Amino acid sequence: MREPVFEVFARKARAEPLRHIGYVNALDIDLARVYAWSTYDEQNWFEMCVVPRAALVPVNRVAYEATPETKLALERFVRTAGTGSYGGSEVAGGGEAG
Amino acid sequence: MMEATQAPAFDHAQEIPEEVRTALRDLILVLADCKRLLGIRYADFILSAPTLESGIAAASMAQDEWGHSRLSYALLADFGDEPKSLEHDRGPEDYRSSELLDEPVGSWAELIALGIVFDTALAIQYSALLESRYTPLRNRVQKMIEEERFHFQHAASWTRRLARSGEARQELIDALTRIIPVSLRWFGEADGAGARVLAEHRLVVGSPDGLRERLLATIGPLLRELELLDRVGIADEPEGFRFAGCLDWSGWDAASRRRGRSGPDADTLARVRGDRNRPFLMD
Repeated sequence: MREPVFEVFARKARAEPLRHIGYVNALDIDLARVYAWSTYDEQNWFEMCVVPRAALVPVNRVAYEATPETKLALERFVRTAGTGSYGGSEVAGGGEAG
Repeated sequence: MMEATQAPAFDHAQEIPEEVRTALRDLILVLADCKRLLGIRYADFILSAPTLESGIAAASMAQDEWGHSRLSYALLADFGDEPKSLEHDRGPEDYRSSELLDEPVGSWAELIALGIVFDTALAIQYSALLESRYTPLRNRVQKMIEEERFHFQHAASWTRRLARSGEARQELIDALTRIIPVSLRWFGEADGAGARVLAEHRLVVGSPDGLRERLLATIGPLLRELELLDRVGIADEPEGFRFAGCLDWSGWDAASRRRGRSGPDADTLARVRGDRNRPFLMD
């Protein structure tokens, strides 16, 4: 079974932006959270997040056209509240699930 | 029963009545030994876990367990014990760790079953100390419980994965069938004297039966989702999950929470005590 890749982002203080610190292979989002926390434990992180690599939409390096199913999935995903702690609720429609 | 709800906190073990103090000391030593041994079992899989990430997670959980055991042993200094001696000088019969941890874990599926059931049982017992009147203990528990959330998440995800894989499913069922009754029994007899006085003095908030119910309520929904309840002897009834079998109390020793005092095997004991590098043990 091939494990999906999750990109790991973290920041050390509230005032800092999240930055990419690495990735983990994990079968699901729960394991990705555990693996990210145990693998990248070199800092006392203020916040850590994981993002499925499949959710990253390329902008400039490769030609890309989302299938209608992908577009629908991404639309539904970006209109959920997410973590809320990094701001962005204004982008995600006030944090309301869509 | 004394009116313990409004009763003052105990800042030192010496303030606790003697028979209650002995029961609390027994409980802390049981928890410390279980954590120490469970850490060894997680550590055994650092280099043989299915993936790099799960090996690192095993290392992290071993570290957590050892940290929790060190904190728990350190508490016993307040009861007149010498923590360093507890960690390095005891014979196998002196260990209060569960029988589940006496010998090496045979497979990844078995480790996951141990994690989802017994590690969760330990976390539930610690969570019964969150409101304890013994301040030094209460102050240490919150962080442990937070770290244990990741252990449960890890074990739950792997339980799902193994239960859905043809070959590993039976191995998981066999391990769960063995581990669940021992873990339920580990909370102690319903009418045990130690548990009763600890609850009466509000040093522990929860009875053995109540903690058993909490364990079943925690793992039951996952096992139901995976259609494993019948296979591992748990009934799903309107009033909650119930262990369908009978717990075997023969030879039960309340102070060590195990049947018999045989303790960890020789190799495990040598590793737990640090025998191999004992000459380098500093004062």
